[in-house]
Amino acid sequence: MSSVLDQENIDNLCVDVSEASGTSREQQKWSEDVILFQPYQVEQITLPDYAQCLAVEAFLRMTGIIFRVEQRTNAAEMSPSGKVPFIQVGSQLIAEFEPIVKFAASKGYCLCKDKPEQAVAEMWAYVSMLDNILTNAELYVAWMVPDVLAEVTKPRYGCAYPWPLNWILPWLKQREVQHLMTIKDWASKSLGEVTGEVRVCLRALSEKLDKNKFFLGPTPSELDAVVFGHIFILQTSKLPGSPFNKLVSQFDNLGNFCKRIESTYFF
Amino acid sequence: MGAVHAKAPPSGTLRDSQPTGIKTTSTFAPKKDDNVIKLDIDKIPVRVQRIVVDGLTRTKDDIVIREIRPLLNAKTFDELVHLSYNAKVKMERLGVFKNVVIAIDVSKDNREYGYEVLFEVQEFRRIDGGIHTSISNNDGSLDFQLKMPNILGRGERFSLDYTVGTKRTHGYSAYFKKPLNNNPDIFFGSTAYQFHGEYPWSGYKQTDRGIAFDLTFPTILGSHNIQWEGVWRDLRALTRDTSFSVREQAGHSLKSSLKHTFTIDTRDDPILPTVGMLWRTSQVQFIFRKHFSVLDIETFFNFFYYNFPSYLGQIFQMSLAGGLMRTLDPVASVSISDRFFLGGPLTLRGFNLKGCGPHSHDNALGAESYWLAAAHLYSPLPFRPGKGRFGELFKTHFFVNAGNLGNLDFSGCSKSFLCRVCVKMRWSYGCGIVLCMGRIARLELNYVVPMRVQKGDKANPGLQFGIGIQFL
Repeated sequence: MSSVLDQENIDNLCVDVSEASGTSREQQKWSEDVILFQPYQVEQITLPDYAQCLAVEAFLRMTGIIFRVEQRTNAAEMSPSGKVPFIQVGSQLIAEFEPIVKFAASKGYCLCKDKPEQAVAEMWAYVSMLDNILTNAELYVAWMVPDVLAEVTKPRYGCAYPWPLNWILPWLKQREVQHLMTIKDWASKSLGEVTGEVRVCLRALSEKLDKNKFFLGPTPSELDAVVFGHIFILQTSKLPGSPFNKLVSQFDNLGNFCKRIESTYFF
Repeated sequence: MGAVHAKAPPSGTLRDSQPTGIKTTSTFAPKKDDNVIKLDIDKIPVRVQRIVVDGLTRTKDDIVIREIRPLLNAKTFDELVHLSYNAKVKMERLGVFKNVVIAIDVSKDNREYGYEVLFEVQEFRRIDGGIHTSISNNDGSLDFQLKMPNILGRGERFSLDYTVGTKRTHGYSAYFKKPLNNNPDIFFGSTAYQFHGEYPWSGYKQTDRGIAFDLTFPTILGSHNIQWEGVWRDLRALTRDTSFSVREQAGHSLKSSLKHTFTIDTRDDPILPTVGMLWRTSQVQFIFRKHFSVLDIETFFNFFYYNFPSYLGQIFQMSLAGGLMRTLDPVASVSISDRFFLGGPLTLRGFNLKGCGPHSHDNALGAESYWLAAAHLYSPLPFRPGKGRFGELFKTHFFVNAGNLGNLDFSGCSKSFLCRVCVKMRWSYGCGIVLCMGRIARLELNYVVPMRVQKGDKANPGLQFGIGIQFL
């Protein structure tokens, strides 16, 4: 519900900005450098963070904002919210997907400017569903499945630090995530149940996308960015037991969507 | 200071021949009209037959025996008193006894010249505690301490501390100290600690968790301390407004370092000395991936001279300090928490605390080298109110201090290097009142005129108040 309200605000902002200024004026507002900070993609980043970073990157590319990516081992500690990714615009720092979307909107960069209000509200409901299911599922797989934890997540999370920090820090993070999962009632689920939830979520997305190019009309929206972030990592991550790779291949249209976004915006 | 009770042989009385600092009393006071026999205490032969140490519960025998064994060699009574006193002083320094009282008596088996010495000792309690305040860097803190002196019976001490400060600093530590070879001057220490501090002048906060081992030993020149420290530091931006140059250093880091400190301290008082000098030099080698990565040398020299013109009671002070840090490994970088900062009401007066040098959005970034010099002339208060009493705690002083902070480029020639060091110098002068607060802190209220300020410095002209232990 809250995300729907947020979207209304964003819409208002979009309207204000577009009414007040022409496109050239908007471009001026982004004259400052935009830098996207994230952890090292190849060696360090963990599954859930990677999805978030990809979503933000896809969003920024879709809006056409010119930015550059900086990889830092301490990106999470640098971030004002403690979470990755975050962007730096001049002296301002904005962390996480939704605040970044709102900030971009306030500067006149809004993906769903011309879209019907109802559809936009529905879109934010989907975003929030993805957040609830896929983000939690990623956290679960990365930090609660023993094989993945020991072979992938912990070594990656600790790779930037010397001994003994390379086992203390992953261990602290593991405790934190496990606590979070317990609060969200995910800790007691089995991997099978989690995969089931992901399947339901993917089916809903697949049905929503149907044979369209994007989720919302002919142009990309925030939902496309978020879905791309999640599906891409579910599809490509090489985890022990590979719990999700087959799952995505069951939904052809999502797989194609992912490839399409990648080839359109990332190359 | 305990008393030595000596019972003289019945045939004679005591003549005044006391070693300094010992109160000798005879158990039966000689009456003036008695038949007085002159007795030279130096020459009374003694044979120590028994030494009794009373009150030992958990202290191991060997460390006490070591201290009292020389008594057995006493040949004369005078020597015996001296040796007993030395043994008492040494025993009190072991950190084992609260109090040592000596009693010398004639031997019970009535042998000729036979004496026995009784040491009545009082050990420290097994567990002791305390709450006290300490002051540093314009920040006061309350320390809760639980200590276990003499925990293993040979002067070992274990203590647990909890500190909470006014500026949201807090920390705890455990410390274990063991004298080596039963010598209280040579000791091995180990500590484990966690400390959280906030550094608003640089806009960051940091939690340190570390362990350290150190060895302290004296030499003819001064005291040495060699320490290895391994510390996990978690640095975070203090507020959302923290400058990005500070923020990008946020995160976890591990510092392993080897430090050597050399100290000569001959001052008569740590807060308001009148005579003596303090010289402390430390060098730190940071170890990064099995190599020495950063070398950090800091030296600090304070010199006091009393009786400048003797009848005025003036004290002259000269101080010099400097620090230099150099990265030896091209990959290594120096964290903001290791850098040098300059400025403050007790160091470079006339500037805000750490207010000199490069800043980024109001956050001091520090630098890799600095120098600082100061000269003071202290005088008693005008008209000397409270002379000999509380008035002695106050002094007026005039001072000039100068300093500079910057990053050095070692590739240039030494001449341009010196030019750079001096050309951007800051200096200020002023006068004020110094108050010595017990042995806890030094308070200064000064009127300062900063004479040379560089761009970006935060000068603080006019009245400036400072409180702390370290000063220049």
